[in-house]
Amino acid sequence: MDLTAPAIEITALDKFYGAYHALKSINLTVAKGEKVVICGPSGSGKSTMIRCINQLEEHNAGLIRVFGTTLDDSLGSIDEIRKEVGMVFQQFNLFPHMTVLENCTLAPMLVRKISRAEAEATAMKYLEKVRIPDQAQKFPGQLSGGQQQRVAIARALCMKPEVLLFDEPTSALDPEMIAEVLDVMVTLAQEGMTMVCVTHEMGFARKVADRVIFMDNGEIVEEADPETFFTQPKNERTRLFLSQVLGH
Amino acid sequence: MSGSSFWRRKAIRSAAFQGGFLALIVALLVGATLTARANLTAQGLTSGFGFLWKATGWEMNFTLLPATTSDPYWWYLTLGLMNTLFMGTIGLAGASVLGLGLGLMRSGRNPAARLLATLYIELFRNLPLILQLFFWYALANALPAPRQSIEVAGALVNSRGIYLPGLTIGPGSVALMVLALGLGFAALIWVLTARRFGRMESGPRLRLAWGALGAGVIAALVAVVAGHEAGTVWASFPVQSGLKIDGGFRIQPEVYALAIAIMTYGAAYVGEIVRGGFKSVPRGQMEAAGALGLSPWQVFSRMRMPLAFRAMLPILINQYVWLIKATTLGIAVGFSDFFMIVASSINHSGQTFEFIAILMGGFLIINFSLAAVLNKLNRAIALKGHQATGAI
Amino acid sequence: MTASFRKNYFGSFGSSLMTLFSLGVIGAILWALVDWGILRATFGADGTQETCQAAGGACWSVIATRWRVILFGIYPYEEQWRAGIACLVVALVIVLSCLPRLWSFGRLSMIWLIGTALFYALMRGGVFGLAAVNEQQWGGLPLTLFIFVATGVIGMPLAILLALLRRSEYRVIARVSGWIIDTIRSLPLLSILFTCAIVLPFMLPGFLIGEKLYRVLFGAALFFAAYQAEIIRGGFQGIPKGQEEAAKALGLSYVHRMTRIVLPQAFRLALPATINQFVIAFMETSLIVVVGFMELLAAGNTAFKTGEWKFAYAEVYVFIAFIYFAFVFGLSRYGAYLEARMNVGHAKD
Repeated sequence: MDLTAPAIEITALDKFYGAYHALKSINLTVAKGEKVVICGPSGSGKSTMIRCINQLEEHNAGLIRVFGTTLDDSLGSIDEIRKEVGMVFQQFNLFPHMTVLENCTLAPMLVRKISRAEAEATAMKYLEKVRIPDQAQKFPGQLSGGQQQRVAIARALCMKPEVLLFDEPTSALDPEMIAEVLDVMVTLAQEGMTMVCVTHEMGFARKVADRVIFMDNGEIVEEADPETFFTQPKNERTRLFLSQVLGH
Repeated sequence: MSGSSFWRRKAIRSAAFQGGFLALIVALLVGATLTARANLTAQGLTSGFGFLWKATGWEMNFTLLPATTSDPYWWYLTLGLMNTLFMGTIGLAGASVLGLGLGLMRSGRNPAARLLATLYIELFRNLPLILQLFFWYALANALPAPRQSIEVAGALVNSRGIYLPGLTIGPGSVALMVLALGLGFAALIWVLTARRFGRMESGPRLRLAWGALGAGVIAALVAVVAGHEAGTVWASFPVQSGLKIDGGFRIQPEVYALAIAIMTYGAAYVGEIVRGGFKSVPRGQMEAAGALGLSPWQVFSRMRMPLAFRAMLPILINQYVWLIKATTLGIAVGFSDFFMIVASSINHSGQTFEFIAILMGGFLIINFSLAAVLNKLNRAIALKGHQATGAI
Repeated sequence: MTASFRKNYFGSFGSSLMTLFSLGVIGAILWALVDWGILRATFGADGTQETCQAAGGACWSVIATRWRVILFGIYPYEEQWRAGIACLVVALVIVLSCLPRLWSFGRLSMIWLIGTALFYALMRGGVFGLAAVNEQQWGGLPLTLFIFVATGVIGMPLAILLALLRRSEYRVIARVSGWIIDTIRSLPLLSILFTCAIVLPFMLPGFLIGEKLYRVLFGAALFFAAYQAEIIRGGFQGIPKGQEEAAKALGLSYVHRMTRIVLPQAFRLALPATINQFVIAFMETSLIVVVGFMELLAAGNTAFKTGEWKFAYAEVYVFIAFIYFAFVFGLSRYGAYLEARMNVGHAKD
């Protein structure tokens, strides 16, 4: 892991599902500490792209590099990259048969091989950061959606990743719980975490993003800083999308 | 590294694992075959399927078609297969009828009926089939000797079997008759439930259904007439003469003990499956039907029963396939089903491998063809889209 | 209370008939059983055929005199206490396995392995100053329990292996495993046991042939594994896809993913079906009688078929039935209880 190299480098990425061309020669570079928000209509490939970064999806052609380590499909590179890249899912995906604390300590103990005491201390620290330390002994099924997603963020943070990927983290939440999760994400952003976030929450993008990317039909259509993106979108498709999302 | 070298690692891992796995399996098979061949030649036994045309030299104790000791092995195997299917069909039919009754009792409103059905199901489901089989067989053998036969409505029951007043026709004709009736009945159900006939008016549809059953009955009668030898009496009654019984139609203890065991055991499972099917019909549907003004019988016959039937059919199919395989227990009481023929053949001829291959092949074929037929039936009557369980 | 009573039992003519019929049948059977089994029965070990038949009821004396043969088969008389303890060990293992507290791979494996080792030591002897008793002399209830335990101990890991193979991302492995599982499941258990007993010796090199008991055990375990693999597969299908993705995203290795995340959840989902499978396995141990082993049922047969108890088949079978019923009914009730508890306790997201 070369921490001076760009956080994420994607070059000429192609992905096919059978005959369907899901990602068409994507190029993207994310610097360390940068916050990138990706938006676009469903089916545009945004989730697919970030899932290629930690190999939850296999890309068919092109290059993916995380801090200089190339993601070829040798097991070594996949493991290394997954250690440093954390992910927060739309469906939370907390492990239902473990307590909140166990959810957070599992991976650090098994993958980073740290002791239980140290893992639990780290877990409590991050649970406090996401503001639910008192739920540590509860099971995911006993928590609300917003609480579960915050636990999911804490769980990802416990691995001390260099990059956090967010795949529509608030899309499955009831409206009143979106704010608590976004607050946590804003805090993380302000602390300097490298974040790549697929979301529809434009307010969040405006507040926190260094760059907003619009994807449609498997391609990156437009890339700009938030101010320019929202007030002066250059591409017709971007304008159409923005009018649909911001209009209601 | 450039993009194309992506393939290298994954392809190697993939090839290594899959190749290694196949190699292991092939090695096991080849090793087994070679060892077997070495052992066989050491014992002076030949291999190959030529023996199928040799005479067996031993007797089968129950056959649907005539067989003698000079018949070749392939004939015996065929008869054994017929016996398995015969016993399976009887067991299946009996278990279904009885199980349907039990399931209905369990799903009904009468607590006394529910209690009786529950007691029956719990008793017969929780005891091993072979134990039940031994019990029925011991009971059959403990019946009095032919001299003291018990008479029941013209039939004689004793330790050598049940002697029914019978039509003097060959057992093959009996089988054909049963088959014809069975097909007629199945056709009746098919016409009443299949979507293909959904567009017909209920009047003509019912007539078609009864007509199908009628055709089956007529075919059965034809089989009876065809199997009857001219000049002999049509029916014979069992009559005691000396130490044995003359006339009548004998059902051996092995046969009816196995049939009873499979029927009673199977009925318990079918009963549970039927109950599950009824339980899965959403209450809301029945209430809606009632609210529309349908009478309780109409709600049952047009709403509850068809939906329950479609829900329970896949599980019933599994149960039926299992029941056919359960006929192999016949060997424990000496019923010459397919398995017992194979086992005896191995004992007598020593052609172990060939017969095991035949055994496995036979059951695989029975299994897959039965499953295929029943699955086709299932698809034909299934509702399009999701089954109406109320779930989205 | 009486209004609903009348409605349920005698609501209509048909219903009334049904009530009378059902109660009549239940009453008649109950009376016959009580009369035969208790009122006119002969208890005590000194009954003989004459006294029993004079009384007209059940002849429980056959159990009183022959219970050792039924329960232990031809196990040597003086050592039968060991067999009895061995049965208790198995009962304990089963009871312990039912406590949710102990449900982790490590603890369950320990319990079953220690239990098996203890059972084996007690039955086989040759250690700790116990006289050696060959497998060929094992019989009756201990043999039934041994077959059951061995089927589970060997069959469960095999089932997990087969289920994982079938789930493999490598097509060839998945498909071939699928064929193997489907083929084993299409065959009757009896044919598999028979093949293992009779045919397998031809296909194995001399040193692997071993005792008939172990070959047959392997066949029973394989059959169990094929069915259990499908049950586990059903469990896999109930796990949301995101679970394994989250585990991958956290960097967990394949082994850790399977043992900590996927398999525990799959087993929880498949628990009722798994318990059902164990119940079936217990009932199927009785098939061993056909390949020439003297498990409980066969021991029962010898008890009454020889000597003067030929008529007492019903009593012996009822006795054996009690034993099977107690275990089978108990376990399936427990399974139903667990299933209900899981449905209630499962908090909805």
